Amino acid sequence: MPVTFTFGEMLSARSVIGSTLAELGETHENLWVLTPDIGATLVEFRDKYPDRFVDVGLAEQACVGIAAGLAYDGNIPVVSGMLPFLSMRALEQVRTDVCYPNLPVKIIGTHGGLVGNGGSTHYAVEDLSLMCSLTNMTVTSIGDPVMVGEIIRQSMDMTGPIYIRLAVGKKDKVLYEDGQHEIRIGKGIVARDGSDVTLFTHGTTVAQALDAAEQLAQDGVSVRVVDMFTLKPIDADLIERCAAETAGRFVVLEDHLSYGGLATRVADVVADRGIRLESFERLGIPQVYAGFGEDEQLRDKHGYGLSATVAALRRAAGPATRAAADEPAAV
Amino acid sequence: MTGATLDIGERHSVGELTDLAYELRRKLLELCGTYEGAVHIGGDLSVADILTVLFHHGLRVDPDDIANPARDRFVLSKGHAAVCMYIAMAMRGFFAYDEIVDTYGQLDSAYGMHPCKVQLPGVEASTGSLGHGLPLAVGMALSARHRGEKHRVVTLLGDGETGEGSVWEAVMAGRSQKLGNLVAFVDRNRQLMTSFAEERVMFEPYPDKWRAFGWNVIEVDGHDMAQLVDAIDRLPDPDSDVPTVVVCETVKGKGVDFMERNLAWHAGSLGAEDLTRALAALDASRGTTAADIAPADTHEEAR
Repeated sequence: MPVTFTFGEMLSARSVIGSTLAELGETHENLWVLTPDIGATLVEFRDKYPDRFVDVGLAEQACVGIAAGLAYDGNIPVVSGMLPFLSMRALEQVRTDVCYPNLPVKIIGTHGGLVGNGGSTHYAVEDLSLMCSLTNMTVTSIGDPVMVGEIIRQSMDMTGPIYIRLAVGKKDKVLYEDGQHEIRIGKGIVARDGSDVTLFTHGTTVAQALDAAEQLAQDGVSVRVVDMFTLKPIDADLIERCAAETAGRFVVLEDHLSYGGLATRVADVVADRGIRLESFERLGIPQVYAGFGEDEQLRDKHGYGLSATVAALRRAAGPATRAAADEPAAV
Repeated sequence: MTGATLDIGERHSVGELTDLAYELRRKLLELCGTYEGAVHIGGDLSVADILTVLFHHGLRVDPDDIANPARDRFVLSKGHAAVCMYIAMAMRGFFAYDEIVDTYGQLDSAYGMHPCKVQLPGVEASTGSLGHGLPLAVGMALSARHRGEKHRVVTLLGDGETGEGSVWEAVMAGRSQKLGNLVAFVDRNRQLMTSFAEERVMFEPYPDKWRAFGWNVIEVDGHDMAQLVDAIDRLPDPDSDVPTVVVCETVKGKGVDFMERNLAWHAGSLGAEDLTRALAALDASRGTTAADIAPADTHEEAR
């Protein structure tokens, strides 16, 4: 029986990983799930398919290598764990064992960005930069917990590897009304339409972007929020369209180093296609090791929290804001 | 099931296998004599007997049906010995030796320094970076076990390579998953690229390290064909619970006296004159094993 979720409801993204894999295990008899000792969310799959579940213990490199070995033999392996370690300690296994032979290994994990108050060993803040640089790799970052299940389902048909990034994954806001947006790997989602400025974002900061857009709307500024959940391949056509439709004003917001992630991906498209922009601002983690604190505190401290996002959008939409203020209806 | 019908190939005597290993070394040297770039000739010569016994005795593979699901899988973890594997496979009928020699290292060739399955589907995995083969083999063995298939997954590692932590992660995984269908051969030639192993890295007591991780350990002279055949014939049933490592005592550069245990010959190429000298040395060394060759006591770095 289908379970439905309501916009704004809080849901555990990691429980969606577990339930989706358990569901897919039935229809995909070659689906395996592997983890380096982060198996709590995978209990449902483990209990249903113990002979296709492998917990290697604290051994990320072997975990990815074993997954590749399974894939060589015609299986669909999912490696699930904490992304700081899967994306960095096992980076060479991801590159050499998975991407080089283009095997259908899915890397799904939590702790993308400055989440969980773990300190800089436990934040994945370079991961998207690293993954986007790997040939054959598809790179996603998901904010909506329901979408996690949809993306995992879509990934089953892929011939190559995919990286699926989540936040902590314990409590995430449902962002999209069921059926209101087309969700397809490789296509951005216009989460909120607008015409003065485009705010590109992904993953944990989509909810914050929507809040910021709502605040700007009070001032008559129309912000388009694009959930660019697929960073690679990037939806270049949508970027080009946004430039044309939002007066060439771009802000990019992400829970990742501000260079190397989505902002860099968007800037590459802008440069490659010769797109004329009025303004371009990137909000993300500067070149610092971020320290401890709650997620929102850290975003504020490092200049990409809600107030900084609102301020950046105001800067970007300056002329639009003034024009709105000049109109009698706005007085 | 098909596994029961895939033939092991022509049965060879120990003498015939020894001759095939000699032929493999000759072909290696000839390629090293024609190709101007570097060939990992030292590590190729040290595994020539192991790869001969695998491709002509141990592995159930079919060159005419490379994707036969019942085939044994072979993963060359020490990917820099690719040339030796290509030629061993050519001698079994997988590839044409002339094509290897004619195209090796050239643009669009399927044959290069480290094997790539995308370019050469006859090999099982793309390898080269060290410490990757055993985890891959664990995954393949897990898959075979899950399907109830009886084939083995065999990998060949260099001893220096086992300095990589990922190897020991996989050693633990292989035992934890009770993969009796998993077999690792270790080319224990006691040389790294720039040093003799025990000088810089203390590997000994080497076989005991594998034993401590719960593996079945077989120790052989890696240049004694009778011992290699015996080790393969004594492998436990693939349905058993304990993976096996065959620690092969070898000599880097084996068969060519001026290359043996010589750090200068990790990789290189032979001119026409040196090729003649090398082939003569190879003839002179026929029948010798690792035990016959004294350990190196000096660093002869000059050629």
